Amino acid sequence: MHLLKHRAALVLAPALLVSGCASVNTYVVLLPEEGGAPAAVMVGAGNQSALLDKPYSAAAVDAKSRIETKTVSAEDANRIFADALAAQPPPAISFILYFETNSIEVAAASRPTLDELFAAVAKRQAVEVQVTGHTDRVGSLADNDRLSLQRAEAVRAMLIKRGINSNFLRAVGRGEREPLVPTPDEQPEPRNRRVEVIVR
Amino acid sequence: MLEGFTVGLIKLHRSLSWKESNYMKLWISMSFAVCLALAFIVAPLPAAEIGQIKNTAGQVFLLRNNAQQPAKPGDLVEAADVIVTGANSSVGVTLIDNSRLSAGPNSRVEFKQFRFNPTTQEGESLTQLHRGTLAIVSGQIAKRSPDAMKVQTPTTILGVRGTKFAVKVEE
Repeated sequence: MHLLKHRAALVLAPALLVSGCASVNTYVVLLPEEGGAPAAVMVGAGNQSALLDKPYSAAAVDAKSRIETKTVSAEDANRIFADALAAQPPPAISFILYFETNSIEVAAASRPTLDELFAAVAKRQAVEVQVTGHTDRVGSLADNDRLSLQRAEAVRAMLIKRGINSNFLRAVGRGEREPLVPTPDEQPEPRNRRVEVIVR
Repeated sequence: MLEGFTVGLIKLHRSLSWKESNYMKLWISMSFAVCLALAFIVAPLPAAEIGQIKNTAGQVFLLRNNAQQPAKPGDLVEAADVIVTGANSSVGVTLIDNSRLSAGPNSRVEFKQFRFNPTTQEGESLTQLHRGTLAIVSGQIAKRSPDAMKVQTPTTILGVRGTKFAVKVEE
């Protein structure tokens, strides 16, 4: 009896898997992005592929990997994906705080931005904060890596001191690798001595 | 002495033959044990968080290491996690590369692979929608390297070049 059951289960399992997949269809729609950034999704199925690169261009793919492309109306797309779209979390906001040369103190001019950051962090539910420190190109790569991390950690410490309720609060340093304004090496540039804070 | 041993063997053989189902049970439990052992070897090291659940409505569950728990805003998402929604339910998730994913009712989303280096902004991700609806706004991974962000369904693989799109898998 046991044996029969097991054998039946073993035979049935792959059949169920196959039939389960056979009836699946995938439907993909490219949506316009708020910022108007160029957008595209490459849809691959079996040996075929189709590029969706216009707002509301859509692809329907059946179980035999056949791709059918068309353009759908905004109303149809918004209706089909109403619940998923309504649950979209708000976009991340970013803040830039500037620093004096070789300092980990936020520059006086950036104090108002710091207050805006504190306000935004307090307002969001389940808030996450990513703090990234940068330097200008004065000094060695290694020193700037260290300074950029110290700047980021200083901002992180201020958020903790303000009682931020977050289980994701991370500080990293990128040194002089990603200047806001490209400069020759060893040239002071206040706009590159900064900490970028992303609030999600 | 030898005879006794042979009889013993025959008896042993008979007792085993009579309960063939026990062989099957043994075989199944052994295969299970091997699978389990393999799962531990293949399983990734303790995963770091790759994002967070921002909002939930209705019934939303987080599946991790075969354990299921109700999901709530603020819960961390790790690589290999699966998020499941019930009827009239939805969930919104943000990942550490700033991508945003939200699923509608009766959905099953698996964060199969996720790697992101916040310093170089480089990474790759593979998310599978097994069923239901998923709206996505891509983040730094897709921005840095087109097609590094991939979304899979039972019939397709999507290479994401940006930014906002939606996928539905119907059974």
